Order: sequence, then C-alpha cells, then structure tokens
Amino acid sequence: MTRHFPEDTMFHPQPDPQSPLAVRVEDLHKRYGPLEVLKGVELAAREGEVVSMIGASGSGKSTFLRCINLLELPSRGRIAVAGEELALRPGRDGNLHAADPRQLRRIRTLLSMVFQGFNLWQHMTVMQNITEAPVHVLGLSRAEARDKAEALLHKVGLYDKRDQYPAHLSGGQQQRIAIARALCMEPRVLLFDEPTSALDPELVGEVLKVIRGLAEEGRTMILVTHEMSFARDVSSQVIFLHNGRIEERGAPAQVFGDPQSERCRQFLSRSG
Amino acid sequence: MIEILQEYGKAYLWTDGYRITGVAMTLWLLVASLALGFVLAVPLSVARASANPWLRLPVWLFTYVFRGTPLYVQLLILYSGVYSLPLVQSQPLLNAFFREGINCAILAFGICSCAYTTEIFAGAIRAVPPGEVEAARVFGMTGFGVYRRIVLPSALRRALPAYGNEVILVLHATSIAFTATVPDILKIARDVNAATYAPFGAFGIAAVLYAAIAFTLVWLFRRAEARLLAFQRPQSTGRTA
Repeated sequence: MTRHFPEDTMFHPQPDPQSPLAVRVEDLHKRYGPLEVLKGVELAAREGEVVSMIGASGSGKSTFLRCINLLELPSRGRIAVAGEELALRPGRDGNLHAADPRQLRRIRTLLSMVFQGFNLWQHMTVMQNITEAPVHVLGLSRAEARDKAEALLHKVGLYDKRDQYPAHLSGGQQQRIAIARALCMEPRVLLFDEPTSALDPELVGEVLKVIRGLAEEGRTMILVTHEMSFARDVSSQVIFLHNGRIEERGAPAQVFGDPQSERCRQFLSRSG
Repeated sequence: MIEILQEYGKAYLWTDGYRITGVAMTLWLLVASLALGFVLAVPLSVARASANPWLRLPVWLFTYVFRGTPLYVQLLILYSGVYSLPLVQSQPLLNAFFREGINCAILAFGICSCAYTTEIFAGAIRAVPPGEVEAARVFGMTGFGVYRRIVLPSALRRALPAYGNEVILVLHATSIAFTATVPDILKIARDVNAATYAPFGAFGIAAVLYAAIAFTLVWLFRRAEARLLAFQRPQSTGRTA
C-alpha cells in the first residue's frame, strides 16, 4: 500500500520562486464557431508547483487543460513546456495546429494526462497498459519498463492486479492504474482532467490519496477538479475560471479564504 | 453409401489420384480467399472509417458494388468475362492467370470477402472508444502507431465474432467454385453422382463434410474469442467494487 497521509495534514508545496517554468501558457483563446469558450487564459507553473483549476461546468477549465497538449486545438495563444515553445501555425479551420508533429509528440511525452474517464486500453492488461508507451514511444526495453511498472504498481497499491484487464477493476482502481501509466513516462508535468468526477463517492478517497502523495513528492501538476477541499490542501496556486476568463487566482488560502471576485465567492459558497 | 466411400473417399478428402480435390481443395480455396480478403480489408477498413471523404467514399463504393452483386455473377465476370477481353488474352501473364479456374475463384472469393470484411472491421474501428485513442495520442504516439498499437488490435478483437460468421459464409460460398472447374467438395460430389446415379449419397457426403469443416471453424473461433476477448468477459473474481 501507499504511505499513510493523515487526513488533517495540510500540504502546500512552496516551489522556489527561482525554479524554472515547467509550463507557460499565454493568451489562450478557444472558439467553437461563434462560441468563444476561452477568452485569453494564461498560466505559469514552476517546477514542483501544483496548480488547481476550479470553476463551474462549462467555464472552460477542461478545454484549457486539453489545449495544453493540443488534444483541443486553440484558436490563439502560446504554449511552452520546460522552456520550449510549441511551434504553432494557423490552419484553414481557424485553429492553431502543431507546425512540427515531431516536436508535438516530444512535448506530449513531457506532459502525461490522467483523464476523467480513465481511458485505459481495454484490450490490454494492467501491465501492458503501463508499459505500452514507455516501450513503444520512449524506446525503453521491455525489462526496464516492466521493472518501472512494478515499482509504480506497488506505489499505487495494485501490484496484485498487474495481469488483470481494466474492465475487471473498480473505477478507483482503474484511475490509480491510469496514474501509474502516466507516471511511467516520467513526465515533467502531470495533467489531471477531473480525475475523480467519474468515481463513486466511496472511491474518490483512494485516488485523492495517490495524487496527494505525488504533490508531496514535489511533482509538477495541473489539476482540474471539483474537489474544493482537496484543491485547497494540495495546491500552491488556484485559478478560478468563469465563462472562459480567469476571475480569481492566487494562493489557496487567499482564493478560498478571501476571494476578491464576487463570482468566485458565489461559486465557493455553492460548492461548500 | 459404403461403396461410394470406398471408391471415392480419397477423392472427397484430398486427391483423385493426379490433383488435389475435395476437402483439401475447399480448404485451400477458403484459406487463400480469406487471406487475400483479410490483407486487403485491414487498410481498406481504416480508410472506410476515416473522416476524410477522399479515403472513405471510394472504399464505400467498392464495398457497395461487391456486396450488392451476387458472388456467382462476380465469378462469371472474372472467369468467363475477363478472359474474353483481347487485352487479357494478349498479355501472357494475365492470360496465364485468368485461364486457371482456381485463380479466378480465389480472386472472386477474396475480393467479395474483402468487401464484407472491410465493413465488419470498419464498424469495429468506429467502436473503439475515442478516449483510448486520445490517451494514445497524449502519450506521444504517431498516427500510424495509434492504429498499429491501439485501434487495430482492439478493433480486430472486437470484430472476431462477426468475422467468424464471415468465414463460415465464405466456406459455403466456395461451393460455387465447381462452375469454374475447380475440383472442390461439390465438384467431386457431382462427379460421383454422375458416375453412380446415387445423388442422396453423393451430395449427402458433401453436406456432412461441409458441416464438419464449419463446426471445426466455429470451435476454433470460440477458442480464439475466449483468449482474445477475455478483456470483455465478466469476471467473478477480482472485481472489488
């Protein structure tokens, strides 16, 4: 099992303000036809930082996260990962496309994503799911990838499930496998897209515990979540999005304790 | 019946003394046609399921034509029709190819099976959960890699039950090969009938042989499904939620 973290421990990673930027996004716009869902969102995450993005459904926070690795094509903006700017060029559809597919693939290997719906490959066992990309994208040997995967399975407490298929596991177990799969790429940044929203309430805790452990290790993470108390506990920076704009941003104590924006205050009082 | 088996049993099964006949010929027709159909259907099904109309529509037209016309007509066109073209007769290579009934039969069955198989595989490709494709892209896979490692392995597994059905249909379709002089099971049965005037015995044996092959194939597909589709089977142990 994973290490035990007492529930009452508040953990705010305080990254060195001098540490380099892991992700920088500037002036990001996303338009679906006449509907503009992101209206100039920016984000800067230093190495070791945990940035939580909160906001109502439809505020654009998932779209923003999916624009960072170009799962969604932004309409405008700049994206840099680990100091390297992603080369973008406008396409005829009005969206920005990767100018160099090889650069995009390389940058994507630095950004592992954990999805709301887990998105494990159903026809592969747990072990195959975790070693697939390290072997076939990064070029690790099978033995090497297997060793890393076993260590990660111990870490998320699912070593005994290594030869099972995803459909035979609970949602919480599947999401912990998806986290192990993301970690096996040794990414610079972990992107979490509402990792607990598809889970039964009693399974949320086991997944949050794993994510909390990653925050304590000093991993750089960008987390889209509806778990307010969790965001308050683990984040170094909280961003509140409303209708595609940043309404409030700052340290968790400030955003949750003394929000300046009226909308943020209303949202937090509704979310309890 | 006993006399027929004693005299023609070998011809029904593998040879009439100077060439391959009967079950062996039917199996060769089946395997060669399926191999041809499968190899062509994999890339065609990717094109058929593509979002790009320039890839999708030509393949749609191909499957529409070959699924919309009777296989027997296709075989007649290939065996009698194509060979009558001056172009084919003047080319030594084409001439040699289309002169042989077995070549025409394998080509006709292969292309027709390819049309059906393409639609089966294309349906399975569309059924691969989009999230699994997204996950593959997020981890830096190339477009080709996503298909080779995720989409096709998943789709071909899911297509297995429908594909098993297609294999049985192709087996039954090979029974028109005798019209192109191929000595398959039915051709032997017709010869036996002509020689013995015992149609019930002659064709009854053919039916039993086809059924035996079909049941063996069904059994093989059941086994393959048990192995390759284990990820879909509900499992009593190991489910903890």
